[in-house]
Amino acid sequence: ATLCFQAFLQMCNLPIQVVCRANAEYMSPSGKLPFIHVGNQVVSELGPIVQFVKAKGHSLSDGLDEVQKAEMKAYMELVNNMLLTAELYLQWCDDVTVEEITHPRYGSPYPWPLNRILSYQKQWEVRRKMKAIGWAGKTLEQVLEDVDQCCQALSQRLGTQQYFFNKQPTELDALVFGHLFTILTTQLTTDELSEKVKNYSNLTAFCRRIEQQYFEGHDKDSSATVAARSAKRSLLR
Amino acid sequence: MAAPMELSCWGGDWGLPSLHPESLTVMAYAKFSGAPLTVNTISNSWRAPKGDVPVLISEDIVISQPAKILNFLRKQKYNADYELSAKQGADTLAYIALLEEKLLPALLHTFWVEAENYCSVTKPWFASRIPFPLSLYLPGKMSREALNRILLTRGGPPPYSLTEVEAQIYRDAKECLNLLSKRLGTSQFFFGHTPTTLDAFVFGFLAPIYKVCFPRVQLQEHLKQLPNLCRFCDDILTCYFRLTVSGHSPAGQDTADANLQKLTQLVNKESNLIEKMDDNLRKSPQHPPRKLTTLKLAAGGEESSPLNRLSP
Repeated sequence: ATLCFQAFLQMCNLPIQVVCRANAEYMSPSGKLPFIHVGNQVVSELGPIVQFVKAKGHSLSDGLDEVQKAEMKAYMELVNNMLLTAELYLQWCDDVTVEEITHPRYGSPYPWPLNRILSYQKQWEVRRKMKAIGWAGKTLEQVLEDVDQCCQALSQRLGTQQYFFNKQPTELDALVFGHLFTILTTQLTTDELSEKVKNYSNLTAFCRRIEQQYFEGHDKDSSATVAARSAKRSLLR
Repeated sequence: MAAPMELSCWGGDWGLPSLHPESLTVMAYAKFSGAPLTVNTISNSWRAPKGDVPVLISEDIVISQPAKILNFLRKQKYNADYELSAKQGADTLAYIALLEEKLLPALLHTFWVEAENYCSVTKPWFASRIPFPLSLYLPGKMSREALNRILLTRGGPPPYSLTEVEAQIYRDAKECLNLLSKRLGTSQFFFGHTPTTLDAFVFGFLAPIYKVCFPRVQLQEHLKQLPNLCRFCDDILTCYFRLTVSGHSPAGQDTADANLQKLTQLVNKESNLIEKMDDNLRKSPQHPPRKLTTLKLAAGGEESSPLNRLSP
């Protein structure tokens, strides 16, 4: 998710600095990561950040008409609904991944018993949420199938275009890039999730293109990508 | 195609074939794709609904969630999306996600969490359709599940107060309705002239908001300001469910007759009770006999007026 924001802000040509903090969840006004700190204002979550940036005069979706804006919002919800939930599921409800990767990673900034307690607490929270939306009964195969369906939809929508809407990147591009890049580059116990995404060549080409254009152009951006990767490792949504 | 398919779901009222959004979605899709579905509405005499509703039963296969039911129908060659392009199929998924994320919380809130609506409309309606011991427990459980879902997906840590969450979900729902209205524009259905899966889902979510009479109706009022969405719902109801806007249908006549019978029975019971009271009064020497005639007339009056009220 951090990457979505960086991508979005890069696309708006706004310079940012990524900082990793262990208590980031508590610093954020809504408890959700990531958040940006600008002057004396703190804004979290993609929606409010987009509004904030728009209020400051930068917007990526001005060129869209009403129907396209509706479509963009719908696709953003699809990504949130499917990809984000699938990522959460994989991190917290799949026992193998939880044991080997998530628990150590989430608890790493803290001393012993706190790291186990906090990660169990987070796991319990996420499982409750999965149960409420009906994902608790899903097996890993079903979740992967849903991800596949979502990627298929995104791939069909992207087609052969450079970005999802015309030639200009929008919030949707930033969001999709963030999620797909995370899936493609994070090390997990199995590669099934990234394989699903790799099946769609236009999506991988899309990620690579955005990475090259917005993340490898400048000197400080290479440190931003390194910081982004380590941000993924020590900050969890 | 040969296997008979049965759908059990919640029944309808206020001119709708069902009050439950998911049941309505499946019923609408079945009509659009021409699938021969026998619909069994859950009523007091039916076996207790367990867990997920709607449920499709075809021979030995039992399927419970709307998405899975629709998939099954498609595999049986009842496909309403046959003419859609790949991109339109992708759009369908995206808009369904939008509905579930933005509109569903407010819908659940209006039905199950808003105290006045729940106590005066939702709970009695559902309780009257669930067999006795469960009717005391199941509506409460559904209400708690709805609240849970809203809080877990929207509450977020630190926990906002419920009023802030409510304000947020209604804002989102109104925005979602505006987006749907813009997307629909002036066309009859979302993708041209034939209804598809997306139309079924939108209809399933919008129709309950549009038609059910609640005391607290901010979402309905907002929806009524979007005439193309209202027209969309009315069109589907008249074309596919053969219901007039006032809500009488051929199948509905049977329920009206059943209601009439029940009411007649109740009234008969009441008049029996009144006759017993008459006897008691006759036996007691304190009350003069002329009051008996007025009581009998009152009993006759009560008997005829409810029947008058029922006839269309």
